[in-house]
Amino acid sequence: MKVNSSTYLQQVKPLLKELLDNLLKKYRYVSILASDSKAMIYSVSKRGTVISEDSLLSGRGFVAKIYDGTSYGEYSFNGITKELLPEILRKIEESLIPLKNALPNGIDIISYEELKDETLSFHESTNYQESLSDMGSEKIISLLTSLSEEGRNYDPSVLDCSAGLRFQEYHKLFLSRGKDMEQDVLWTTGTTMVMVSKGEEIKYYFKGYSNLGGSEILKDMKEGLKETADSALALLDSEPITPGEYDCICTPEVTGMIVHEAFGHGVEMDMFVKKRALAEKYVGEYVASPLITMHDGGTAAEETATYFFDDEGIPAKDTVIIEKGILKRGISDSQSAMYLGTEPTGNGRRQSYERKAYTRMTNTFFEGGHDKVEDMIASVEYGFLLDNPSSGMEDPKNWGIQCMVNVAREIKDGKLTGKIFSPIVLTGYVPDLLKSISMVSEEKALGGGGFCGKGYKEWVKVSDGGPYIKAKIRLG
Amino acid sequence: MLDKILNALQKNNIGHYLINEVTTESVELFFIRRRLDIRREKSVHDYSLTVYRDFEKDGKKMRGSSAIGIYNGMTEEELDQAIKEAYYAASFVCNLYYELPKGKKEEFIPSTSKLASMPLTESAMLMTEALFAEDTKDDVYLNSAEMFLEKSVIHILNSEGIDVSYDKYTASGEFVAQCPSPMDVETYQSFHYTEPDTTALKEKVKYTLETTKARAVAVAAPKSGEYKVIISGHFVSTIFDYYMDRSSAALIYPGYSNYTKGCKVQGENVTGDLLSINLIANEPYSTEGIKLIDRPLVTAGELNTIHGNSRFSHYLNTEPTGIYSQIKVQGGSKSFEEMKTGKYLHVVNFSDFQMDSFSGHYGGEIRLAFLCDGETVTPVTGGSINGSILETHGSLTLSKELQKEKGYEGPFAIAFEKVNVAGI
Repeated sequence: MKVNSSTYLQQVKPLLKELLDNLLKKYRYVSILASDSKAMIYSVSKRGTVISEDSLLSGRGFVAKIYDGTSYGEYSFNGITKELLPEILRKIEESLIPLKNALPNGIDIISYEELKDETLSFHESTNYQESLSDMGSEKIISLLTSLSEEGRNYDPSVLDCSAGLRFQEYHKLFLSRGKDMEQDVLWTTGTTMVMVSKGEEIKYYFKGYSNLGGSEILKDMKEGLKETADSALALLDSEPITPGEYDCICTPEVTGMIVHEAFGHGVEMDMFVKKRALAEKYVGEYVASPLITMHDGGTAAEETATYFFDDEGIPAKDTVIIEKGILKRGISDSQSAMYLGTEPTGNGRRQSYERKAYTRMTNTFFEGGHDKVEDMIASVEYGFLLDNPSSGMEDPKNWGIQCMVNVAREIKDGKLTGKIFSPIVLTGYVPDLLKSISMVSEEKALGGGGFCGKGYKEWVKVSDGGPYIKAKIRLG
Repeated sequence: MLDKILNALQKNNIGHYLINEVTTESVELFFIRRRLDIRREKSVHDYSLTVYRDFEKDGKKMRGSSAIGIYNGMTEEELDQAIKEAYYAASFVCNLYYELPKGKKEEFIPSTSKLASMPLTESAMLMTEALFAEDTKDDVYLNSAEMFLEKSVIHILNSEGIDVSYDKYTASGEFVAQCPSPMDVETYQSFHYTEPDTTALKEKVKYTLETTKARAVAVAAPKSGEYKVIISGHFVSTIFDYYMDRSSAALIYPGYSNYTKGCKVQGENVTGDLLSINLIANEPYSTEGIKLIDRPLVTAGELNTIHGNSRFSHYLNTEPTGIYSQIKVQGGSKSFEEMKTGKYLHVVNFSDFQMDSFSGHYGGEIRLAFLCDGETVTPVTGGSINGSILETHGSLTLSKELQKEKGYEGPFAIAFEKVNVAGI
């Protein structure tokens, strides 16, 4: 069924239109993004049980973007009534707009053109089978408790097993002179994490689940618990790796981390504006093996970062970034696209109505290939199957890789030996890694369990993934 | 809205609750080079409500809880429904009973920061001037920057009498320094001040510009192997996250940490510096309304305090200290220059540096380091370090020189022996 629209946004829409009309009397371009979002977190572990609204993702509020003839300003607020409208207008006109006049000597203002504002009106919603809200707290906690206890009782070496679920149901309304768009989106994610201890050292293995929908992921969570627990127990005998360059097979999760962290951040075109991305100089050139085609977009896949329009009112797209190894284009928000003279790709995203829009990834992945995973493993004389990514950091300027994975499974003479090394740091130069990709599996998966930051802040929901890939990677 | 929430709680016979009310105003400036790209202002008012529900399960007394946000524009019916649902949900949260913090109505505590004495716009311009003051060269410069001036008014009240409020001001942001030749490189840096500390910001920009210039001539990664690794700058504070996490009631209660009061956090055989860490009250109250005071956390390597919120502290029968976000670490035995003797790898900048408090592993990719072979010092870039605090904290060295960063005041540098480096 379709996600319902927000009653609240319908109630305040006339007031927002009145605010918009008032501002448009004085300013050439004005847009208002309104959002009504509810997100909940449920978790069970030895630490206890949690039912809590997710404050990062929840809230109701508005952001008005105003063009004063040369530059843009934004005002974020979360109270709107007929009585408050004059105060909101006063703050915009008397504080926000003149703010640029108070800049210290030597600081200039970038002049921008007026944003294009084509006429567009639609209302779209995503689908789901059963939402966690419909399922109810009692059933959710009962299922998570059962998963947590099953994990804890799996083996005496298990210290704890946490099981968690999170969902966000959000509704957005975008108004400008030409646009009147609404969207309703629901995604759900789940995690199981099994912790095992070896003296003071605690090792853990986690598995994430996600979908653009509701409680449908619960079945997979239950089925995946044994594998998660076995993987955690195997970590007890893991060793540090001898640093060096190895033939590696990356699981779709690790491929996703490489796609997102190592390459994706480098094609966010607000970085082109700042001359912070090496990728800008490589458009039209080989940056990866010809086996690689890379996508990003709100409509590129049905996952947690799927939407119909971005936070600047640009319809979502499916952007082909790398086509058969050649870098074709980047992704952009509206203002960056205007600066660069390119078309926006629907990637202007905000952490919330309280924050600025930046160019952000959405669903980012490599296309699948033609190889079988077993053939890929069999092709490795000595190397590793890299699994369970834990973190990564972008380096668009120099294309350095900084990714960490929890598990490297040893491969000898084409077979997994059962020996595990952990933790593992991936380093090196991004194009070297991408150009070294020699095999790509048919099998492909996307995961949307994580959030993406711009530097160390501005968290937005993303998904990433792709096929198993074989590449040469420096491990430490 | 507060009255509406209290009325709804009373109407639903909810006897135990916590309300957090926060009003935030901000002025935000975004720059590309020395030009303003976009300006923003914010004015928001948020409420969050936690309801508690007592019940028995299997003969044990339980206290469940559920937290929700209350938003502007919520009608009384919506509010009533949201609170009902939260209270119902709390009945499935099977957490053992614990006491909520008690208190009384206290006077509003106004910020003593100089930032409170001027409008946000004025503070923003003052800090912006400081941000660009050292950006005077053509060969190394600020590529981009973000500046956030924020005022928050915080009000915490609960069913046990706590009714406290205060305000706080911050000047925070980030900047990226760029040196385009011989190698085109950049350095990301963040800043966070509770005073209009223009001197500190100027110093930070100057230091970052200098180290970025040094990185531009670094061409190779160090060779793989074991090194004495010195870490300096803001990454040092990340190391101490391990001790903060391991001494928290939230990790001790479920058995994730085996710390007990009086335990030797660096182990029995310490040949290096002994740690002394204090918890610092950088705000008057915790989010539960517990009064925060400065406390010794670790003294000469021994744990003094198990810190935590009311729930986990009750379970461990320790004093609920509230949650802290600032520490002060005592300086070490050697000067920074004395630390740099013999062979070492001094890492000035990582792309990201992480400390896993569960496993004790720390690591990150090297953006800039100085490699000393005992005689000559060479700038290097690339490769990564992968160490274990459990294997290295018995012989760590802290610098005498101190630094102040967000949530941290303590040694400028820390050195570990025999750390694994993955290079060329």
